Amino acid sequence: MVVEAVAEPARRPRAWPFALAVLGGTALGIGAALWAIEAGARPTAYQGWEANTLAGSPDADALTRARVARSGLLALDRSQAIYFNRTTDSAGRPLDEGCRYRVGGGPLPARWWSVTVYAADHYLPRNDGAALSFDATEVVPDAAGRWQALVGPAPQPGMAFASTQGAGDFALTLRLYNPDAAAQRDFAGIALPVVERLDCGGERAA
Amino acid sequence: MNGLPNRQVLLLLTFTLCVLGGYWLTLLAVPNLMMRTAMHRLSDGGAAVNRFVFAGPTTPASRRVVRPAPDLAYGSCVYDLAAGPLDVGARVTEGGGYTSLSVFAANSDNIAVLDSMTHPGGIDFVLALPGQAVPADRPVVRSPSARGIILDRRLAPTAADFARADAARRFNLCAPMARTVK
Repeated sequence: MVVEAVAEPARRPRAWPFALAVLGGTALGIGAALWAIEAGARPTAYQGWEANTLAGSPDADALTRARVARSGLLALDRSQAIYFNRTTDSAGRPLDEGCRYRVGGGPLPARWWSVTVYAADHYLPRNDGAALSFDATEVVPDAAGRWQALVGPAPQPGMAFASTQGAGDFALTLRLYNPDAAAQRDFAGIALPVVERLDCGGERAA
Repeated sequence: MNGLPNRQVLLLLTFTLCVLGGYWLTLLAVPNLMMRTAMHRLSDGGAAVNRFVFAGPTTPASRRVVRPAPDLAYGSCVYDLAAGPLDVGARVTEGGGYTSLSVFAANSDNIAVLDSMTHPGGIDFVLALPGQAVPADRPVVRSPSARGIILDRRLAPTAADFARADAARRFNLCAPMARTVK
């Protein structure tokens, strides 16, 4: 009896590993990009305030452009305005709507400036205090040009004020409009305001 | 040569390319998607294109664009240059104060800003795509994209300032160019 060897049919390569590689790789890439936009490497910090020299600029890299679009869409470039943001006080503690903060500094190198409170969703906090920001015209500088303002749940007579009611863990944005040429060139050379926590939950500092 | 290692290399290459592709496409897509959303909101769902729309005083209810400044009066013109260039102009606010028109492309780049410091007598320019015919005697801003946003910002920290800014911005112009250039 002759037994013929039967040739095994050639095995077709399985497609599912490639489908998995495509789906998994794409998902990982998208996830990494979203993480980089929301929580990746922070912009450069200047005395506790973060700013990006390329915000709004056509020269911005793709990540900077995406981050600015997410948290500051329609931002002007630095020839027109410089935006500084911070989410911590000068001791590095997160800004909290239940605390009071003294924001103070000297003359700022711009035609006009303002400081605004934003909630974590990047919008103005939902309160009816009508004090969402303070600006250069509201502070009262001393002879040396030093000024201070209060950021907290309630105003204090005689001080420029921005309300944190409803702001949760909030952010402060300092806008310098028509900044000086030197400021545009060198953000690190700008003497930025200090944000000092005074007290929290109604307790007064000793 | 065994085909297995080649297949593994190919799988690894596919995975890596997809990671990189997903990463870069997301970075490129986010600004365009954010702009598309903003254009939809600022043009009232596409009904107000190539004309200025003016927002009231900025309040906690202002949710069309992230991080609005409560000290500014905002106006916007969602532009579409597909049918031709636009005439764009603005009077500066009476009594001084910051006024600017800034032009944003569809990818969110701030491609031009004209303000009251450099144009104290008023702002006037033609907005056009590259290659579109424009008058020789007018300032021209070339947008790399057919669609985008022109934003009018005016300093208005008080109700009185807002009223003055609002009166001036009612003269803003954002409309198809009045005369054809050949």
